[in-house]
Amino acid sequence: MSDGIKRRDFLKVAGTTGVGAGMFGCSTENVERLIPYVVPPDDITPGVATWYATVCGECPSQCGMWVRTREGRAVKVEGNPSHPVSQGALCSRGHSTLQGLYDPDRVSAPMQRQNGELVEIGWEEAENLLAERLGASGPANLLLHGRSGASLSRLMEELQEATGGRRVEYDALAQAPLREATRVAFGRDVVPTFDFEASRLTLSFGADFLETWLSPVEHARGFARSTGATEEGEKGRFVFLGSRLSLTGQNADEWVPIRPGSEAVVALAIAREISDAGGDAGPYQELLQGYDAASAAELAGIPAETLQALAADFAQQPSLAVGPGVAGQHRHATAANLAVLVLNAVAGNVGQTVHVGRPDRTASAAAFADTEDAIAAMQAGEIEVAVVHGANPVYSLPGTSAFAEAFANVPFKVAVTTQMDETARAADLVLPDRHPLEAWGDSSPRPGVYAVQQPVMQPVPHFDSRPWGDVVLSVARRLGHDLGEDTFHDYLRASWQEIHGRSDEAAAGFDAFWRGVLRRGLVEIAGEEEAEPSLQAPDRALTFEPPAFDGDEGDPVLLVHPSSRFGDGSLANRPWLQELPDPVSKIAWHSWLEVNSERATAMGIRNGDIVRVRSSHGEVELPVWTYPGIREDTVALAMGGGHEALGRWAEGRGVNPMRLLPSEAEQPSGGLVHLSTRVTVESTGRRRPLATIEGSSEQFDRPIAPAVQVDALTGEPQPEGDGERLHELQALGGFAPVPTDGLPEDYPLPGAQYGEYDPETTARWSMAIDLDKCTGCSACVTACQAENNIPWVGEDQVLMGRDLHWIRLERYYEGVDASEPGPVDIRFLPMLCQHCGNAPCEPVCPVYAAYHTPDGMNAQVYNRCVGTRYCANNCPYKVRVFNWYRFSEIPEPMNWQYNPDVTVRAEGVMEKCSFCVQRIRERENQATLEGRGLQTDEVVPACQQSCPAEAIVFGNIRDPDSRVAHLARNERTYRVLDVLINTQPAVNYLRKVTFHPVTEFHV
Amino acid sequence: MATVTETERGALTHPDVTSHAEVNEDVLSILSRPGKWWWILFGLASAGVGVLAFSWGYQLIFGIGATGLNSPVGWGVYITTFVFWVGIAHSGTLISAILFLFRARWRQSIYRAAEAMTVFAVMTAGLFPLIHLGRAWHAYWLFPYPNERLLWPNFRSPLVWDVFAVTTYFTVSSIFFYLGSIPDLAAARDKARGLRRKLYEFAALGWRGTDREWHHFGKAYLFLAALATPLVLSVHSVVSWDFAMAIVPGWHATIFAPYFVAGAIFSGVAMVITLSVPIRKIFGLEKYLTVRHFDAMAKLCLVTGLIVFYAYLIEFFMAWYSGEDPERRVFWNRLWGHYWWSTWIMLICNGFIPIMLWFRRVRHSIAALFVISIFINIGMWFERYTIIVTSLSHEFMPFAWNVYRPSLTEMGIILGSFAWFAFWFLLFIRILPPVAISELKEVLPAPYRARKKQEGER
Repeated sequence: MSDGIKRRDFLKVAGTTGVGAGMFGCSTENVERLIPYVVPPDDITPGVATWYATVCGECPSQCGMWVRTREGRAVKVEGNPSHPVSQGALCSRGHSTLQGLYDPDRVSAPMQRQNGELVEIGWEEAENLLAERLGASGPANLLLHGRSGASLSRLMEELQEATGGRRVEYDALAQAPLREATRVAFGRDVVPTFDFEASRLTLSFGADFLETWLSPVEHARGFARSTGATEEGEKGRFVFLGSRLSLTGQNADEWVPIRPGSEAVVALAIAREISDAGGDAGPYQELLQGYDAASAAELAGIPAETLQALAADFAQQPSLAVGPGVAGQHRHATAANLAVLVLNAVAGNVGQTVHVGRPDRTASAAAFADTEDAIAAMQAGEIEVAVVHGANPVYSLPGTSAFAEAFANVPFKVAVTTQMDETARAADLVLPDRHPLEAWGDSSPRPGVYAVQQPVMQPVPHFDSRPWGDVVLSVARRLGHDLGEDTFHDYLRASWQEIHGRSDEAAAGFDAFWRGVLRRGLVEIAGEEEAEPSLQAPDRALTFEPPAFDGDEGDPVLLVHPSSRFGDGSLANRPWLQELPDPVSKIAWHSWLEVNSERATAMGIRNGDIVRVRSSHGEVELPVWTYPGIREDTVALAMGGGHEALGRWAEGRGVNPMRLLPSEAEQPSGGLVHLSTRVTVESTGRRRPLATIEGSSEQFDRPIAPAVQVDALTGEPQPEGDGERLHELQALGGFAPVPTDGLPEDYPLPGAQYGEYDPETTARWSMAIDLDKCTGCSACVTACQAENNIPWVGEDQVLMGRDLHWIRLERYYEGVDASEPGPVDIRFLPMLCQHCGNAPCEPVCPVYAAYHTPDGMNAQVYNRCVGTRYCANNCPYKVRVFNWYRFSEIPEPMNWQYNPDVTVRAEGVMEKCSFCVQRIRERENQATLEGRGLQTDEVVPACQQSCPAEAIVFGNIRDPDSRVAHLARNERTYRVLDVLINTQPAVNYLRKVTFHPVTEFHV
Repeated sequence: MATVTETERGALTHPDVTSHAEVNEDVLSILSRPGKWWWILFGLASAGVGVLAFSWGYQLIFGIGATGLNSPVGWGVYITTFVFWVGIAHSGTLISAILFLFRARWRQSIYRAAEAMTVFAVMTAGLFPLIHLGRAWHAYWLFPYPNERLLWPNFRSPLVWDVFAVTTYFTVSSIFFYLGSIPDLAAARDKARGLRRKLYEFAALGWRGTDREWHHFGKAYLFLAALATPLVLSVHSVVSWDFAMAIVPGWHATIFAPYFVAGAIFSGVAMVITLSVPIRKIFGLEKYLTVRHFDAMAKLCLVTGLIVFYAYLIEFFMAWYSGEDPERRVFWNRLWGHYWWSTWIMLICNGFIPIMLWFRRVRHSIAALFVISIFINIGMWFERYTIIVTSLSHEFMPFAWNVYRPSLTEMGIILGSFAWFAFWFLLFIRILPPVAISELKEVLPAPYRARKKQEGER
């Protein structure tokens, strides 16, 4: 595929058509020679996958992972179910780790700047050079590094102790205010953990805990368990208080659209109400007297009754308040975090849902103030050698921070990285680091939880990389410091001796223990948690009032939030993430400015109009996306765009919002201030169409994503299916008779009347998706993409509506009002092939490429497909996607990720969800080998495996013990469009449950 | 050259034409003098065929993504143009078969051109199912050919019915066309010399014009006409089922078969008018293509046009009457949505403009008919575009709605298809007599009577 037609292409086309008759078919041009293993490796059986347990390196929450390798190549990552934090789930960013591993734009060899150009050198030379410069600089060196594993952090510490240099931890999404607030409130310098599962009423003051805040996968699981309706019809409530509905906010039952910056007073006013009603505010009793609901409501721009009602509910039941998160880090962020912690303490949540004694040890809470000092030192010429590892401050710091200029002032700059990012571009020496899947490491996310990160494959041979730990040890040795071991692997094992000593397996030898840890991925040691503290009197004065914002009063406040796809932007060179429609806006591949729909109408701007956004610190131009879920006085911009380096998929895409922010540390935590400025928004008169997958966000009067009010739930199973309606439909004529009560397991299969299949022995694969649990996070979309070799198509193709995802996460607005507090009703619907029993796609295919399998699946035979696209036209769910070009031809080594069990599709064929048929067959084969039948719920498709919310359940609906058969009888179960067009889908959806009355669609 | 006057409007041929020899001369002379205009048109058509070949080649090499198609709009201007050309193909067989059986004598002057148009239109239409395939090189899988894997096409699929319907129609209409041409080929043979004569000799199958031959010819022609008649109704019914058998709102309607057949005849007759007006002018056939012929064709247009318009109204009514949101919204969108212009072009060109044909003055004005017929052609193309694209773009799942814009490649192929049709048609009028000589002679006023009259005047 090419953008324009080149001369060569023209000649090619003209030549072919000149010959006239098309000569297609066999060609010997591309045949590769297959050579079998001469001496087969012991641990590789061709065709059989090997799994390794390791730790995800994509964000500080460090979820446990299982990596599936085939013939020595990592092809799929999944959550490690025995990991106590992530519990087997994984997010989109976690799945994309494979694209980081196989990124063709990785740094291929050590590089040194010679005459202004970076040229490749050998490792020996590179290490010598680094040791020489470090030795020459003495203590005038700086090591600036991102969040890393426990042992690597300690090793870097030891290095800096040996050299006497500075060491600064830097993370663009650091939680410094939360950590400082916890210290002030409880006297512990930690980041607490939050138990969403135990909460019945959750308040979020803007924290996007389902997307990027602390440990989103863990939160999503707990949150879904708490707020997903149970079979008995019980459901926890979630209220979002913030100026913009993030994806987390979209999952709320109620939205209180408070003014940006007013979180602290609102939280304190609620705490005051609770304290007045008998709650124990401890040393904060006096402080709370200064905050009352009326004045807080006034500051926040909401009615006081809302706060009073919330306070009453919050005190009554197990509850949890969190916030304000990274996007809400304003000039009084420590106070705001403190206010929320006080609210939790007053309501008695500490030790129940807020755990200070079981802190989040991997959360990055580094203070930006340290980085500011380092910048000052570099500017002052005090630094001779600066080494940056695992961070990209040139990109992720505000443009006004002058980091780039200060960095340029350092005589010898070293970047240790996997990607040629903005910081590496500015460096004098670039050392290619190993990807986390190729390197050793460890993590301890919670007290008593120790996980090992192990290499799952040989380093990708295209890149001459070395583990940073090995380089540190080797350089230290060259400098004459012995840090104990020769390799980082030995260093890691040595540091685990101590953990071994504390574990239950201390009696057994270390090697046996180590092998067990490698197999499980982690070890848990009981009793390492500390007692929960109580509130302490504040040891410093804090201002809880809303902070000041730069800029003119009438202009909207700019909310810069971490992207749920790219985090701080370091993952932007991954096409899976670029192409993943943003869970909120459904836009892929570029940036957008979120503007309130009504404000946009008043300003006369529409979706796709390019606007100039200007603050006193910088300006950017980008298209507008109008959103009803943001206050009129706020505009929002996601991080992660606007890269000038990093790789072919990231460069030049979108804008970097950090260019609009001041470089300022919040006091007293020293955290970087994100919510600080107002901006002017003016139209440029130009347009840029949005690469969105959203057609209409209104479902009209159709049985697509209905909901039910919680009061209407009976807790009784559904006595029958949609039988009555289906019989009525059939009575109208034109339908094949369906002798069924509308229960999915009874749907007759095509051919069943000829005795083709035995319903007693054949499985009938089916799925149930609980829409009350689904958070719309889109992890399933990326998991499916990784499992099923689904190519990405690029922005121009998404713009045309040609994205190839097998799961389309639909998002319908039923009720969103930014002007006053009230219920939010946003419905998510993961739409995938419904594997209809009466599939409209099957009869229309002229060549039988779409057909029904005896086990109830709608199969697509790629080799047989000729590409008439009739099936897609006739699919009412629009889940069939077409290979318009040879999308599967992707650059080496990205194609190493392809799953060998799934066909890589050629151009011109239709594809769609296969219910992960390769996994079904794999389990069936395994069962046959073991001489048994399939066990209940043995088959788990990729989407279900990944789903952090446990919303997806797959199984054999004919097996009465299976979870899916059980869920199919749930009173909330329905099948999309079935009552309208009698498609008899195999996917059962469970209605979303609301606290407010909902209108039923009419049929 | 003879001119048509007010009093001669009712005649099937100009009264000045009296002798059989004159017919032969007038018609066969078309074959012998190419003229400047023919060469210009032929040059343009050949260039257009080049555009077709290049565009298609480009699409084959780079992929079907060269079109503007997307999800959910999987069919666009290719299928639109396919249906358009199949529709055009209808009038030929209608005029030569049905009107033959009904003894409508006005068909004689136009049926040869109409039949040729049919054959070439099917040849053009037949390209599109190939062009629109994602993997055109596997198109033969749609045919039920015996193979060692016992793989057959899916006989439930309307696309397989299409394959049968269109190939049958092509076969029958080609044979019919060829059979009817045999006496004229013989006439041409008698005038021609050199290589042309050899070709005509071969093609005329040694026709001598004996009674016995005429007798067999007449019987064969009658039977073929009877055989071809049901095809006129079946082909477009089958094509309409491509849509009606699907559950797409806006497609799934029982009215589609009669609606499409009427539309096909409507567009086909309009195309006959569009083509015969310039032929008449360029080759001076005013003597044989009289106002009477155009009047009859205009009436046919009027009747079928009214049926089509009625079908439009019924479709809108049924959408409202169904009470179902998907159905209603598709039709609402047709009128006021993203593709409103296409729907209004369709309604105005096919619904309102043909109403003018009620007036005799309009029917008797060749220029007016020519303009109206062009409008009908445009309107009928947009009818199919409206049906296909508006329905697909607004189906059941609102979140998946999307719009489609044809790409340059598609435009090239569409334009090329008209050139491809013109290419064959232009060759036809230079190689075969575009007016049926033998049948024309049947409707000539008996020569002796005319002579008598002249003598009497003397």
